[in-house]
Amino acid sequence: MLDHDRRIGTTGLDEDASLIPDLSNGLIDRSIYTDPEIYRLELRRIFARAWNFMCHETQIPNAGDYFINYIGEDQVIAVRGDDGQVRVLLNTCRHRGNALCRAELGNTRTFVCSYHGWTYGLDGKLIGIPGKTDFYRDDVDQAKLGLVPAAKVDQYKGFCFATLDPAAPSLFDYLGEVGRIGIESMLDHGDVVALDGVQKNVIDCNWKIAVDNLFDWYHVKVSHNSASRVGFLNQRMMMPMTQMVMLGELGHAIGGPMITEEQQAKIDALSDEERAAIDRLPDAERAKVTPSERRPLRSTAAKATMGQVGVRATGHPNIFPNLWISTRGMQLSLRLPRGPGRTEIWWFTVMPKSFGDAQRRAAKKFLTHAFGPAGLLEQDDGENWSQSTAAGRGVVSGRHPHNLQMAQGQDEVLVHPSGQKRIETRVNEHAQRWTYTCWAEWMRARDWPELMATRSSSPTGRI
Amino acid sequence: MSQVVRLDQEATASPGLPERVLLQYEVEQFLYHEAALLDDRRFGEWLALIADDIHYWMPIRRTVTVENLHLEYAGPNGMAYFDDDRTDLGMRVQKLQSNSAWSENPPSRTRHLVSNVRILEVKGSEIALEAAIHLYRSRLNDKIDHWIGKRRDGLRRVEGGFQIFQRHIFLDQTVVLSTNFSSLF
Repeated sequence: MLDHDRRIGTTGLDEDASLIPDLSNGLIDRSIYTDPEIYRLELRRIFARAWNFMCHETQIPNAGDYFINYIGEDQVIAVRGDDGQVRVLLNTCRHRGNALCRAELGNTRTFVCSYHGWTYGLDGKLIGIPGKTDFYRDDVDQAKLGLVPAAKVDQYKGFCFATLDPAAPSLFDYLGEVGRIGIESMLDHGDVVALDGVQKNVIDCNWKIAVDNLFDWYHVKVSHNSASRVGFLNQRMMMPMTQMVMLGELGHAIGGPMITEEQQAKIDALSDEERAAIDRLPDAERAKVTPSERRPLRSTAAKATMGQVGVRATGHPNIFPNLWISTRGMQLSLRLPRGPGRTEIWWFTVMPKSFGDAQRRAAKKFLTHAFGPAGLLEQDDGENWSQSTAAGRGVVSGRHPHNLQMAQGQDEVLVHPSGQKRIETRVNEHAQRWTYTCWAEWMRARDWPELMATRSSSPTGRI
Repeated sequence: MSQVVRLDQEATASPGLPERVLLQYEVEQFLYHEAALLDDRRFGEWLALIADDIHYWMPIRRTVTVENLHLEYAGPNGMAYFDDDRTDLGMRVQKLQSNSAWSENPPSRTRHLVSNVRILEVKGSEIALEAAIHLYRSRLNDKIDHWIGKRRDGLRRVEGGFQIFQRHIFLDQTVVLSTNFSSLF
């Protein structure tokens, strides 16, 4: 789908591209956090183009179950039809644009507009127009006025995504190896089920600051100092000195702690039963015997699904643009744009079906206390992000770029015989720089073919 | 004059009224005292009022249709904003008392308003009550949050007063329109 909203000048140059600063050297021009024109371009060139996470399939198991989500600022209904298929429909009546569905979730047989009563089926077909004969004199093309569907809907192992752009590559190709490792990191204990309840809150910050923070293991020791002091996090977790970064095409990345090859060799020597037994131990006892701090230890099967390098990555994956998968592989967070200076943070939680009650309770307890607006960690993030955004509005402050140059040019991309690439290093800002480099490529490209032709391939060599 | 008569009649008709009024007074005074401790940042003293078996819970609430009202709250097996025991609350208090809990340094200015207190049940030493709450938070120079909702508290009579063994908070908001919950309810 060509980006028609703005005319391309007679020279063939894209006027919009001139808005996009060069971000490749890690200096981030603050206009990208505050400029309303850049924000509108993001809605078109990033959100309306990308595959966006909708929900886990177990959130809408039955015909008529629906869940409301967003693609940029387009509100959509993810709904399961009578045929069992999940569809994603724009939540806007074809008559006067009213929102059909005012609830966040539920079960229904039809979507009835509260304005004039136009009625749509679960498949989006317009099945009723009040006064069709009396008022419209049967002169209305009912078949053409169904709810606008997403261009493509697909799922990767139960995680449903949608794109509004018919030219988008398949979800599988879009995710690429790095995106798929991100999702596989939630599945190493088998199929998962979504827990009821998505935490949602609003932060006055630009969505990208909330996104790039997920790779930031530099802030943990400072921002989350109080969580560590009260014993919620141990100091080693606060600033791990062994970090792995994986950079995927189109902007996907994983950054954070890693399991070293030596640790992995010890894990490999354990059966799944032995791994589970270690994970059942209380923290202090577990620390004495576990080869790796990450809990739960990944299963033997994970090596095949995540790859020999991927299985050692225990940092945070981001599926571009805005889906963060948390360290333990049990939560997904969307950073949904609500204007250049406002972001909704949503937390979805999934649990392996194989978890027993006690295991599930323990995991839920940790997750509830880490993230969400009351989370002992997340409480202290929001104001950093809103103040970082707000300062960009100052005339002179706005002229000084954010600096994401840590470890630039200091590391090497290593290529495993399997082909998987990674950087093994200390705390760094590689994944943040990569995210912004790719962001700029998305923003300069006028359509999918142009993006595919101009995007950077996953880096090799010195980085 | 007629009002006095009616009150008298009520008192005669409800033999337990003076006791109930006294209990209502005690409970309300306790809730006001507790609210003042939080507003005055006397968190340690507040924590002393929390029973060891406390369940402090704020479920996730959703906007749903009338037909789907049974889905309004994520249940006890679902996720929540708060789902704390005594140890968790202890951590929150310790965090609030540190100077590196950045969401509370500089500190928020809060006012806990408690009203519409209704004692629902008295069972031995335990009292179940419901109250309307309004927690006002002012942060930095220009951030204002209003959290209004219903609280279901369980109080236990102990030597010298009450302890709280249940606090379930039902917020009158679905998407939380705030940066965080760094205050205690």
